[in-house]
Amino acid sequence: MPPTLSARGVRPDARALADVVTRLTQDYGERAATTRAIRDQHSHGEGMADAALPDVVVFPQSNDEVAAIVRLCHAARVPVIPFGVGTSLEGHVAALYGGVCLDLSQMTQVLEVNAADLDCRVQAGVTREQLDAELKGTGLFFPIDPGANATLGGMAATRASGTNAVRYGTMRENVLGLTVVTAEGRVIRTGGRARKSSAGYDLTRLIVGAEGTLGVITEIQLRLYGVPEAISAAVCQFADLEGAVDAVILAMQHGIPVARIELLDDVQMDACIRYSKLDEFAVLPTLFFEFHGSAAAVAEQAGQMQAIAAAHGGSAFRWATRPEDRNRLWKARHAAYYAGMALLPGRQGFATDACVPISRLADCIVETKADIAITGLTAPIVGHVGDGNFHLVILFDPTDPAERAAAEGLAHRVSLRAIRMGGTCTGEHGIGTHKLDVLALEHGDAVETMRTIKRALDPHNIMNPGKTVPL
Amino acid sequence: MLDSAVSSRLAALLPPEAWLTADEDTRAYECDGLTLYRTRPAAVALPETEAQVVAILRQCHQARIPVVARGAGTGLSGGATPDAGGVLLSLAKFRRILAIDPESQTAVVQPGVRNLAISEAAAAHGLYYAPDPSSQIACTIGGNVAENAGGVHCLKYGLTVHNVRRVRGVLIDGSTVEFGGDALDAPGYDLLALINGSEGLLAVITEVTVKLTPKPLLAQVALASFDDVGRAGLAVSAVIGAGIVPAGLEMMDRAATRAVEAFVHANYPLDAQAILLVESDGTPEEVAAEMAEIKRVLAASGATAIRVSTDEKERLLLWSGRKAAFPAVGRIAADYICMDGTIPRRTLPQVLARIDEFSHRFGLACANVFHAGDGNLHPLIMFDANVAEEAERAEAFGAAILELCIEVGGTITGEHGVGIEKIRQMCTQFRPDELTSFLGVKAAFDEHGLLNPGKAVPTLHRCAEFGKMHVHRGALPHPELPRF
Repeated sequence: MPPTLSARGVRPDARALADVVTRLTQDYGERAATTRAIRDQHSHGEGMADAALPDVVVFPQSNDEVAAIVRLCHAARVPVIPFGVGTSLEGHVAALYGGVCLDLSQMTQVLEVNAADLDCRVQAGVTREQLDAELKGTGLFFPIDPGANATLGGMAATRASGTNAVRYGTMRENVLGLTVVTAEGRVIRTGGRARKSSAGYDLTRLIVGAEGTLGVITEIQLRLYGVPEAISAAVCQFADLEGAVDAVILAMQHGIPVARIELLDDVQMDACIRYSKLDEFAVLPTLFFEFHGSAAAVAEQAGQMQAIAAAHGGSAFRWATRPEDRNRLWKARHAAYYAGMALLPGRQGFATDACVPISRLADCIVETKADIAITGLTAPIVGHVGDGNFHLVILFDPTDPAERAAAEGLAHRVSLRAIRMGGTCTGEHGIGTHKLDVLALEHGDAVETMRTIKRALDPHNIMNPGKTVPL
Repeated sequence: MLDSAVSSRLAALLPPEAWLTADEDTRAYECDGLTLYRTRPAAVALPETEAQVVAILRQCHQARIPVVARGAGTGLSGGATPDAGGVLLSLAKFRRILAIDPESQTAVVQPGVRNLAISEAAAAHGLYYAPDPSSQIACTIGGNVAENAGGVHCLKYGLTVHNVRRVRGVLIDGSTVEFGGDALDAPGYDLLALINGSEGLLAVITEVTVKLTPKPLLAQVALASFDDVGRAGLAVSAVIGAGIVPAGLEMMDRAATRAVEAFVHANYPLDAQAILLVESDGTPEEVAAEMAEIKRVLAASGATAIRVSTDEKERLLLWSGRKAAFPAVGRIAADYICMDGTIPRRTLPQVLARIDEFSHRFGLACANVFHAGDGNLHPLIMFDANVAEEAERAEAFGAAILELCIEVGGTITGEHGVGIEKIRQMCTQFRPDELTSFLGVKAAFDEHGLLNPGKAVPTLHRCAEFGKMHVHRGALPHPELPRF
C-alpha cells in the first residue's frame, strides 16, 4: 500500500532557480557541482530508492556559508535539502522538488572536547566513527551508534538511536544544543553547555528529529560519557523467539541497567553467521547483551540477566570481555542490515522501524513473524528490544511489481500493528517520505500542530519540502 | 473586568461554585510563589472535566480574553501570576490518578495530581516518579510539565522532560492534542519536549502519562567536608569526571550549614568551609562499589572528613539540612533573595570565588546552596530591607551573580523558569534572531497571544538583577514547603 498522504512542495520558478545555480557556481566554484554523477549520488539515501535529483549540490564549509546559501534560496523560493552522508533509510534526502542539496560533509571539525563537563561540540559533517576516533584516549565516549557511519548532523536531524539507547537514550537525550540556520538564513544557537536551563522553548529538541524541515543543523553540542570501568558482552541463544523477548521484558521490568540488549531472530542470525563469520553460533533466536559499570556492578547485572534468560529457555552465556572480541560481536550487529541484504543478492531491502510499549513487544514480534511467513518473503528481524524497538529488513525484487507490493504491504501492516499496540511506526529512522500517512494515523490532531509550526518557521516551505509533516 | 455578556457566557459553562468573580474569592489566586507581583484576575474558573476546559478556551479565544493556567501555585517565577483582564484557569479539580501500569512502568494522571502522590500510588508496585522538586508534597504534575521541573535527583534520573511520555492538552482554540506517545520515541516534531517548560504559553495540560522508575533497593549518602570552597567545587567536577553519576550531588557553604544546623540539627560539621552531599542508589552491590569510588575521589580531592549514612534514618537526617536551607536562612536574615542560575560545572570554583568577592564588595552576606552536579546555583543574598539602601545593594549583588553566570557560559534560570520574573532580561542570553524563532513557535500555537500573556518569551536586553525571590522576615510563600 503506497503512502496516500504527501507533504506537498512546489518546484521552484525555473528562472529563479537558474539564477541561484549560476550564483552558487560563481561563489563556490568547484564546491558547487551540477554534474549528473554528483547529483545522482545526492538523489537518494539507503533503503527504498525513491531517487529525486537536486539541481545543484553545494559543499559549504562554515556556518556563514550555509546561512548565505539558505538566504539566497529563501529569497528565490528554492528548496534546500541538507545532506550528510546519505545513509537515511526513509528517503529524507531525495530532492523531491529539485533545488539545492547542501552537502555538509566538508564541515568535519571537532570544535571542542570538554572532558570536565563531559561534552563536546562538533560540526554537522563529523561522522560517528570520526568522533569515536577523536575521543580515543580521552576516557570518554559518545554512545549513540546507528548501524551506518552517519554524520552527527544527520543523526540529530533524524533523532537517531542505536544499540545503547536502553541505557543512554537517543539523540533526544544526548544533544545539549545546536547551531541552526533557519529557513530565512538566520544563524541561531539553541540550548547550551549548562546542564539545565528553563529559559525559553526547547528549540533544541524541536529541531532534533525535524529531518531538516525546520532549518539546517550546522553544529551540535553533544553529551559525552566516561568509558565504564568494566564492560562485558555476552551472547545467549533461545529455543524460541517468545522466550528471548519475554526475557528482555522481564529484565526491563526489574530495572536491570543493561547497556545494550539486541535481538536477532533466526533468519537474521543466519545472515550474520554467514556475513560476519560468527561460526560458533547456531541459527536460533539470539540476544546480544552488554553490561557497563564497575566490575562488581557488571558481575551483578550479568548474574541477574543469566538467571532470567535461563528461566526462559536461554543457553549458557558466551562471554566476550576482551575489547577485540566485543568489537567483533558489535561489528556483526552493526552490519546486520548489510548481512540481511546479502541473503538474497540483487534484491532491495525495505527497513521497518516499529517501536511498542515493552509490555506489548512479545505480541508484536510474534504476530509480525507469522505475518512474514504468510507473505513468503525473506525478512530478518533485528531489534533494540530493550526499548521496544525492532526492525525488519524486507527483501524484495524491485523489478517484480507484485513482490514490491507484498513488501510494502507487509511494512505497512507492521506500522499499523505497532500503532494499534500503543506504539509508533518509527522508533528511530524517522518519517521522511515513506511514513507520512501513518504519522497522521498515529498522531491525529498533533499533526495539525506540527503543520502550523512548519508554516510558522518555514513559511515558504523551502526546507526539505515533501518530508516529515503532511502539508 | 470582563464584558458582562462574555462573562455570563463563560459562567454558563460551569456550575456556579466553579466560576468566581467576587474580590474575596479571586484574592486567593492573585499570585503564585513569586509574591512580589500580585494581580487580581477578572475571574477564576475551576473546571473539572476536559470538556469544560475546551468550552472555556473556545469562548475565551472567540472573545480574545487572556487565560492563565494554574496548578498548585508553588512556582517561583510568576508563571501563574494572573492577568487582570483575563481568566485564571485552575486545574485543582483534576486530581485523579487514572491508571498505573506496572508492566510498562507508566502512570496516567490528571494535571492537578501532586508530584509526591504519584510516587505514593506507585509504591505498591515497587515504582516511583523520579523528578523531585523540593516542593513535591504540594506542586502538581501539570505545573511540573509546564516548568520542566527538576530536583535533587534529576542529575541521574533527568528532568521532567525525560520522565514524561505523553501529554494531552487543549490549545487556545479549544482543540485537543496529544503530544508524545506510549512508545519510547514518537515520530514527527518533538512536540512533547516543546510542551515541557513552555510555562503555560502553548497549551493547557489536561492529562499526563509519566514514566515510573523501579525503586532502588538501597540509597546511601556521603557527607564530605572541605576547608576550602573552591576545592569542594573541584571535587564536584572530579566525581563527575570519574564517570560516576550520583543520584544526587549537592553543595552548601559554611554560611548555609551554620544557618541549617541551628535550625534542624542535621549534624553537619560546622568548621568546614563547604560540604558536599553525594548520594548513591541501586542494588547493595552497586551502592557499595560506587560509594567506595565516591569516597576515593572525594578523599583525593582534598576532603577533610567523609561520613556515609549507615541507615535510612541517618540518610534522611543528612538530607533534611539541605532541604531546610531556605527557611533556615530566613531565620537568621531579615530578608533574602534567592537567585537561580546555572553554570558549566568546571567553572564552579571560579564562580564561587567571584561570589565571595561580590559579598565583600556589596557588604552583604551570602549563603550558597546548590545542585552542584548540574551546576545549578541558588545563592541566598541576605539583607535588611529596613536599612537604607540595603535592598538596592542586594539587587545589584544579584545582578552581578546572574551576569557572571552568563559570562562563564551559563544561563540565568536553571529550574525556576522565566515567567514574568526574568522576561525583560532574557535578551542577554538570546539574540534577536533566536527570539524570533521563539516567537514563531508561540504564534504557531496561539497567534493572538492569549495563553499566559507577557510571560516567558523573552524580548530585549539586560539580563541581571531579576531572578530572585524576596523574602521579608522569613515570610516565605508557603513556608511549610521544603524549597529548592
